[in-house]
Amino acid sequence: MSAEVSVPPARRSITASPIFGKIAASLVALFISFLLGALLVLALGESPLEVYGLLISGSLVGMPNFLVTLQMMSPLIFTGLAVAISFRAGLANIGAEGQMLVGALCAGYVGYAVELPALIHLPLCLLAAFVGGLVWALLPALLRVYLNVNEIVVCLMMNPIALLLTGYLSTRVLKAPGPTNKLPDIQPTAELSTFSLFSQANTGLIFALVLCLIFAVVNVRTMRGFEWQMIGKNAKFAYYGGVDVRRRALTVFLVSGGIAGLAGAEQVLGQYRAYYDDFSPGYGFDGIAVAMLAQFNPLAVPLAALLFGALNGGSAVLQMMTGLSKHLVQVLQFIVVLVLAAKLSWDWLKLGRSQTAAPGSDPPAEGPHVTAGDR
Amino acid sequence: MDLIEIAFSAVRVSTPLVFAAMGGLLSYQAGMLNIALDGFMIIAAFAAIATAHFTGSLELAILVAVLGATMLSALLGVFTLKLNADVFIAGIAIIFMAYGLTALLLKGILGEDGVFMSSAIPRFPTLDLPVIESIPVVGGIVSGHTLLVYIAWLLVPLVAWCLYRTRWGLRVRMVGEAPEAAAAAGVNVDSIKFQTMLLSGVLCGFGGAYLSLAYVSLFANQMTAERGLIAIAAIFFAKGHPGWTALVALLFGLATALSVRLPQVTGAAPQLLQLIPYVVTVAALIIVGFRTARSRSKHGAWKFGWN
Repeated sequence: MSAEVSVPPARRSITASPIFGKIAASLVALFISFLLGALLVLALGESPLEVYGLLISGSLVGMPNFLVTLQMMSPLIFTGLAVAISFRAGLANIGAEGQMLVGALCAGYVGYAVELPALIHLPLCLLAAFVGGLVWALLPALLRVYLNVNEIVVCLMMNPIALLLTGYLSTRVLKAPGPTNKLPDIQPTAELSTFSLFSQANTGLIFALVLCLIFAVVNVRTMRGFEWQMIGKNAKFAYYGGVDVRRRALTVFLVSGGIAGLAGAEQVLGQYRAYYDDFSPGYGFDGIAVAMLAQFNPLAVPLAALLFGALNGGSAVLQMMTGLSKHLVQVLQFIVVLVLAAKLSWDWLKLGRSQTAAPGSDPPAEGPHVTAGDR
Repeated sequence: MDLIEIAFSAVRVSTPLVFAAMGGLLSYQAGMLNIALDGFMIIAAFAAIATAHFTGSLELAILVAVLGATMLSALLGVFTLKLNADVFIAGIAIIFMAYGLTALLLKGILGEDGVFMSSAIPRFPTLDLPVIESIPVVGGIVSGHTLLVYIAWLLVPLVAWCLYRTRWGLRVRMVGEAPEAAAAAGVNVDSIKFQTMLLSGVLCGFGGAYLSLAYVSLFANQMTAERGLIAIAAIFFAKGHPGWTALVALLFGLATALSVRLPQVTGAAPQLLQLIPYVVTVAALIIVGFRTARSRSKHGAWKFGWN
């Protein structure tokens, strides 16, 4: 009786497993991105081999370079994880940049203004960063969850607001004496210790990896994680299945904001040892690409962050050695996002478009679930 | 006198918003929220300044800008309509790809990091409208702009006419409101959506060209400063009606114009004044949210979901 239902083992191939399909899609997206990037580099009159060689040798070859890559990947793990858990729940929290800035400012303030033993001070700073990020996610989250306002537009508005507000606070209100626009240095008790003198890679990296592990377990093994995925896949189904969709969505959004805030804590407590105005080259936005490449899987986030962190590290060398700008990496990252947005899957690659048009597959994003439109 | 000056610059500042909003409005009416307007505009701004720098021709610059933005919109259209990509994720990708690409090309083609200015770029002549010029207050506000400003504001009635008075406009609104009904009536839904997407690219092309050639005469990385998203907020606020959308865009422009003028008067921190357009936009979105929630509870519909 059950033999009829189960799939005969002979027909199960490795290509049928969902994990394989996801990995294949990510690799294909990367390949397309690097191919287009090579054409772009060629069009600008540089040799793609040389450019990619520089990107790799500038980031992965040699211990100092590799340590720099570790340093570059740490914030990307936090922001990538933040974006990943929100996307998985069907919420596009792309305000990680702003949440990170606010979190960093909070960590920087608590780091210098409070005097406590290290055992309490460091956790307090991390908590402050988490709360800062969470607070910055509160408005887009409430608007999205209770009033159905498109969170992307609100998040992208909150980012420049965060930049300007933190800029105001760090250049006017809380500024350390001296020429640079920064807050006073944090107390030694609040520091995340570094691994080596050559790089600012610090224990924040380990904290980030542990966080990824925790969310991997939460996603797969707990009720909450299951509910988060369910509201992402089909909110209506989840609602009729008895999930408190609004509460869960709000929680995911706020936790996501908090984790993005922790990225700021890692920067301030581990790398700079003070809050510097406008310190971020866009780690929050890189997090979108990391989350997409990892296909929202917390365990894949560190790998994606390693790749993009390495590219970011190498791009500094690229900028010095060639006539290209470090923004090449940004282009590569978002080609990956664009290609992966096309819901690539192994089936799709095999069957072409006939699969996407099949009834019962995901309908194309269409029409009046245009949020915040009253139609 | 000073007020007239602020109103004059409000018209100037809101022009790119009007271009972007009119473009975004068309795809909004076709039921597709196109958040990538900012990406279209930045590409157009760059294409315009590069073409003007190399050829010295403003007409050619606008043409290339429109072409560039339209190509990008076609890319987004193909990904969302043919390849089943989520319109929001693809839109985010397009925005940041466009930011990166323009910065890359700025270094690669024009050899500058961050900002590019050139004396080879001709200025747009300002037009004094013959009769209106002599009207006391109105003349000071309306007359003396560049050609693109007038094009932008003439677009508003044109878009309204197309949407509400032509067969094509009817189809667009039908596709937006009831895609199944439109398909049953023989309308090619995807084709209409693609057309509105291309048109939003064309109009954002004008907006971007205006931004880099007429509003200022330079290109800077991310110089669009979220104008595409402010335009979307204006569309939300006006529920997609062209006239009201333009009016809301004008109000946003007024807020920005004030934020440019106020530091000279008050001496407040520049960062706080630069906040004004963003804060006004977020405030507008909050109002939109409450309004929508009220009408929703009236109709009893339950809405949640993004994918």
